[in-house]
Amino acid sequence: MAVYIQSAAQITIQSPLCDDWFTSPIRREGRYFRSVEPDFKAFIDPMASRRMGRLLKRAIASAMTALEGYEVPLDAIVTGTGLGCIETTEKFLNAMLRDGEQALPPSFFMQSTHNTIGSVIAQRLKCHGYNNTFTHRGTSFDCALQDVLVQFELGDISSALVCANDEMTEAYFQLFDQIGYWKREDVTEDMFRHPATTGSFAGEVSAAFLLGGEPTERTLCRLEGMELLYEPTDERFLRCVEELLRKAGIEKTEVDAVVCGYNADPSNDEVYARRMDLYFPQTTQIYYKHLFGEGFSASAMGYYVAATCLKRGEIPAHIRYREGKSIRPKHILVYNHFQNRDHSVALLSC
Amino acid sequence: MNELIATLKEEIIEVLNLEGMTPDGIDENAPLFNGGDPSAAGLGLDSIDALELIVLMERNYGIKLKNANEGKEIFKSIATMADYISKNRTK
Repeated sequence: MAVYIQSAAQITIQSPLCDDWFTSPIRREGRYFRSVEPDFKAFIDPMASRRMGRLLKRAIASAMTALEGYEVPLDAIVTGTGLGCIETTEKFLNAMLRDGEQALPPSFFMQSTHNTIGSVIAQRLKCHGYNNTFTHRGTSFDCALQDVLVQFELGDISSALVCANDEMTEAYFQLFDQIGYWKREDVTEDMFRHPATTGSFAGEVSAAFLLGGEPTERTLCRLEGMELLYEPTDERFLRCVEELLRKAGIEKTEVDAVVCGYNADPSNDEVYARRMDLYFPQTTQIYYKHLFGEGFSASAMGYYVAATCLKRGEIPAHIRYREGKSIRPKHILVYNHFQNRDHSVALLSC
Repeated sequence: MNELIATLKEEIIEVLNLEGMTPDGIDENAPLFNGGDPSAAGLGLDSIDALELIVLMERNYGIKLKNANEGKEIFKSIATMADYISKNRTK
């Protein structure tokens, strides 16, 4: 069964709920950036949102924007989040410490689970359908997306909202810093081209994708298929790509671009570079983490970027990692991996 | 008592995250809960807010509510809360 990405919305370190990043991106130089937030009052009544942490507000705003103009009943909401509402969790834990585990604040407690995000979106959208949350660090969103594809394949759903939501608190940034997640120096775009030191820079992502079984005028692209792989060898990776292409009925030479999760860390980037050199040496490569930063939900922005390029029929220069043939893209592969263990490959077409 | 009411208003605004509200803008005699009727007077708090208020009384004033039925009277308004706290506080 064909699955289409009907619409998408993002709240990240780029201008929120729009595609300004495509034409006039915000250039970042630093180690740690919080999302640029929209005016949430346009989406949630302040009285209703007063108990929500900022991640929940972002999740609702991005979900509502993705659904704007669509009247279809929503059959499923599936969320990928590495850390859940970590800011609220921290507040709850701090209150436990402060008050000696007595008199714990209920609002913080209620929001301290990962699946709070999906349930709050469902409450807001009055969706009583399938609701699931995937928490698998850097591949949380990819797992959520694959679950939705399985539901489509089984015929259980004909529409779904797939979300990625992660925030990066100061405390978590510091913890990750200690284990080398972030560079010691301010990250510049040039470091993505010439990665020399370990680590990346931190960003935040809230993204929502509306998926459906029928194309509409506003459809961004078709999701031909995706695979999750655990520590794949080169051969296994290639077989997986070939199988995706075979199912979609296209040749390898017809792939117009590959989106890769380059993040300026040599150990991360060499995995992409090597496989691209082996299997797609002449193909345009797209990178996106220089715009959106690194984090557990960052991979979602790879799909977002690919879908936007397909819809607009162009790949802007500032996201081209390597130049290939310059044509209107019709087929884009999205390839992400997390610590070279969990890999995901998806094929998007228009 | 007026001092306690003023403090309580500030604490409630902070704990319940009542953005845009000031102590002066809250009538201490208005009902805290309006039973889900948005047109009714009062702050329009809900059951989770009630839990937050119970936690506030325990943490800030050392009062542990033992009888749930008492809550209805205690949490009628900020004035009734202040009255109960002034008579039962341990800190």
